[in-house]
Amino acid sequence: MIEIKNLTKIYKLNKKQMKESKTTNPIKTAVNDLSLNAKPGEIYGLLGPNGAGKTTTLRCISTIIKPTKGEIYVGGHEVQKEPEKVREKMGFLTGDIKLDPQFSVDYMFDFFGRLHQIPEDQLKARKEELFTYFGIQDFSHKKIKELSTGMAQKAAIAVCLVHDPEIVIFDEPTNGLDVVTARSVTDYLKKLRDEGKLVIISTHVMSEAEKICDRIGIIVDGCKVAEGNLEQLLHETDTEDLEDAFFELYRNIKGGN
Amino acid sequence: MGGIKQICGKELARVFKDKKMIFSVFILPVLIMVGIMTLVNNLSKNAEKDVETHHSIVYVQNAPAGFEDFLKADDKECEILTVEDRTSVEDMIRGGDADLLIEFPEGFMDAVTDYHAGDAVPQIKTYYNPSEDYSRAAYNTISTGVLETYREMLLSQRVDDMAGLTVFTVNSDNPDMVIQDEEKAGGKVLGMMLPYFVTILLFAGAMGIGTDMVAGEKERGTMASLLVSPIKRSSIVLGKVFALMIISGVSSVVYVGAMVAFMPQMMGGLSGVDGLNMTLNTKQIIMLALLLIAIAFLYSALIVLVSVFAKTVKEASSYIMPVYMLVLVLGITTMFTTKTPQEWVYAIPIYNTSLTLQGILTQEITMMQYGMTLGVTLVLGAILIGVIAKAFESEKVMAI
Repeated sequence: MIEIKNLTKIYKLNKKQMKESKTTNPIKTAVNDLSLNAKPGEIYGLLGPNGAGKTTTLRCISTIIKPTKGEIYVGGHEVQKEPEKVREKMGFLTGDIKLDPQFSVDYMFDFFGRLHQIPEDQLKARKEELFTYFGIQDFSHKKIKELSTGMAQKAAIAVCLVHDPEIVIFDEPTNGLDVVTARSVTDYLKKLRDEGKLVIISTHVMSEAEKICDRIGIIVDGCKVAEGNLEQLLHETDTEDLEDAFFELYRNIKGGN
Repeated sequence: MGGIKQICGKELARVFKDKKMIFSVFILPVLIMVGIMTLVNNLSKNAEKDVETHHSIVYVQNAPAGFEDFLKADDKECEILTVEDRTSVEDMIRGGDADLLIEFPEGFMDAVTDYHAGDAVPQIKTYYNPSEDYSRAAYNTISTGVLETYREMLLSQRVDDMAGLTVFTVNSDNPDMVIQDEEKAGGKVLGMMLPYFVTILLFAGAMGIGTDMVAGEKERGTMASLLVSPIKRSSIVLGKVFALMIISGVSSVVYVGAMVAFMPQMMGGLSGVDGLNMTLNTKQIIMLALLLIAIAFLYSALIVLVSVFAKTVKEASSYIMPVYMLVLVLGITTMFTTKTPQEWVYAIPIYNTSLTLQGILTQEITMMQYGMTLGVTLVLGAILIGVIAKAFESEKVMAI
């Protein structure tokens, strides 16, 4: 399971970044005192607009960046104290993480499998399973740079799942994928959930969150403003679908119509 | 430290499993080096040959009777002309159309034959153009050779016993004049050049790939996939540094092998290389091998360090150039070191490796100096690895 206690992530902006963000404040609070719990056997969705702090939260969980304040426990291991143990249990994928374009899908799968110290026979079986599910066999010999966006995304998902992780974290998992590929990814996430694994995704696609997430945490300006299953969120906001619920909450925070 | 082998293997596969990379990293530089050196050598040989076969055009003014025959006897191909217009001859020499002007004073032969003690000694003047190869060659051959012989001939007409005028000669019949340890002498020449070549080969061989190793991965967005794998940051760093060491080592071996194999073509005419004793004893080979491994480790760590602090390969390439220049300068300083260095000098990183390489070849290094160099190089390399691993932890440096 994942337990986040009062997570805060603050960035210090340099002049160039301040100019790009059109701000005079050199301090940017990406995540502000955020707490959440997610349990095995569920798909937890972080929902929010661009820049809300979803990706930053996921990056803190995955040990890529360090929290400014707060604690994060993954399977009982604190991310800053035992980062290697946390990474062992986790499969993390974001649009920013790419596979080396010079190598084939086969090579990258084996490479990461060996980094996870998976025995060769198990690695072979795992490859067979994932490549078959995502239809990768036909292009597994090709270099990543020769693949289309969808193929590369499928390859990245397979590689990220090489070690059969207990916890799967996907940042915008269907971003840039065609409908067919997107469906195969969401189906696989459901399959993982049914196998008792914890899946955390971030998304700004309401329909996707509505369809696959067991619980949803809505984040606005780095703060969690609501959390619950779809029914609870609709009931809380007195709305009929997730999009309306989201805008109701968003308006409450930001003001306006 | 799991993962080092895999990371190292991947970095090596990036180079050794790609035919284009093998060609551009190992073969192309050798082809370029051998090609350029062979071309330069051939051009230099051709120029030398051309000067040797050139028929010198020599103008003489007020030449005494018999001089032209004397000159012709020494240099059969020489074209001798008499000066009619002094200014135009000077213009011709300036323009490269004539090579030498020999000006005798008027009444030269009378002044020589009627000479009495106290008389003014007649002077022969020669004029040439040192910026022209043919003219310079004619000057060297005639002014310092033929005219010297001509002087001795005229002098022999004046005195009966020429040997009486010679108080002593120096080494006119002494073929054993050079007393030296051939191995040490060979080591001296090699010791001057080797630190320079080692620096170029080890550093330059690793530079291109090393800058891409971290900065390139950051730029392509592939570094993050390594950072979320369950291995320590230090394992990633060591894997990359070891791979770079192997690549720079292999490229050095290939370059040195090519240099030895193509030495006759490349440096056939270079003086000082012929007859050089390049044999090394077992102790020297072991000392050299260990030191070269340590140098490769330090240079690889240095390159990776620069690469870590760059956001792009282009940025890394521009950062690495001043470091390369610094290492290069420290590498060639041994060429100009004549005094025996003091012990503490062997604690100066990089410079000490050049001194020690030279010392091993000339067999003038003590084990204390060698140990200090090896230790300082390895410790500094290890410190750099620590700094790189620390930088890997930094979100800002890794730009993630």
